[in-house]
Amino acid sequence: MFAAKQSDLTPAQRAHIRRILRLLLAYAIVLPPLVWLRAHRHVSDAASLAMAIAASLPVLGIFASWGRYLSAERDEYQQSLALRRIAVATNATMGAAIVWGFLQAFGVMPLIETYWVPFVWVVFQGMYGCIDVFSSHRRGNGQ
Amino acid sequence: MTSPARTLRSAAWKRYNIRILLLSLLYAAFLLPAVYGFKHKLIIGAVAWIVAVLPAIPIIGIFGAMGRYLVEEQDEYVRMLMVRQMLWAMGFTLSVATIWGFLDNFELVGHVDGYWIVVVWYFGQGIGSIVNKLTLGDGGC
Repeated sequence: MFAAKQSDLTPAQRAHIRRILRLLLAYAIVLPPLVWLRAHRHVSDAASLAMAIAASLPVLGIFASWGRYLSAERDEYQQSLALRRIAVATNATMGAAIVWGFLQAFGVMPLIETYWVPFVWVVFQGMYGCIDVFSSHRRGNGQ
Repeated sequence: MTSPARTLRSAAWKRYNIRILLLSLLYAAFLLPAVYGFKHKLIIGAVAWIVAVLPAIPIIGIFGAMGRYLVEEQDEYVRMLMVRQMLWAMGFTLSVATIWGFLDNFELVGHVDGYWIVVVWYFGQGIGSIVNKLTLGDGGC
């Protein structure tokens, strides 16, 4: 089943997935030692800055990979699906951020680190992807 | 070919501007009493949640208006410019949020209210417009 699904992927999608997997691997390798260092050793501000940037880089690479995928994708249908998913995830994330932001500002909810914003974005992308797959299956069964 | 002057006068663009204007007025109408109420401790309990969320609703509406504009815009070139602008805004915002989040985690900067994300997103739209201008010769909306 996975092999059949894999063959459905466009070359741009395969390249994008490879890039994402490498970047996630880099993230998993880079983050734990940085967290450990921060928790167990006294780190100067300059080193903390370097560590924060090092932790951010793989995640920034993931966003860059999305941009590269959109420009590399030759299948216009797949491109439009990706754009739709990104638009829905972005709008939902901005909506969540603004609601949370006002709840924070008026002291109703606590302040949180902003890296949760990209996390929420990825979750919304996944949710929309699931809804899309589910609805296309339903359309397929209906025909 | 579509000239920038013509694109700015499209019917979809006009409707989009009217919606943004109305939503901005609604935003001000919700925000000012909320700020006054919280500042003078007039709002407590469950009402505080409602009053805090009310100013967020017009901003969410603005994102909805952008989505609707993309659906209504008939000029594919102008729509492509807007989509590119939004993609740049998204990449910029998520990158800033990631970097700031880790700087915050390593205690180099303080926490910020979540609504700044949206401010950064609008700034990112400006960056997208500049990129459009530099790469395609047309800034777009």
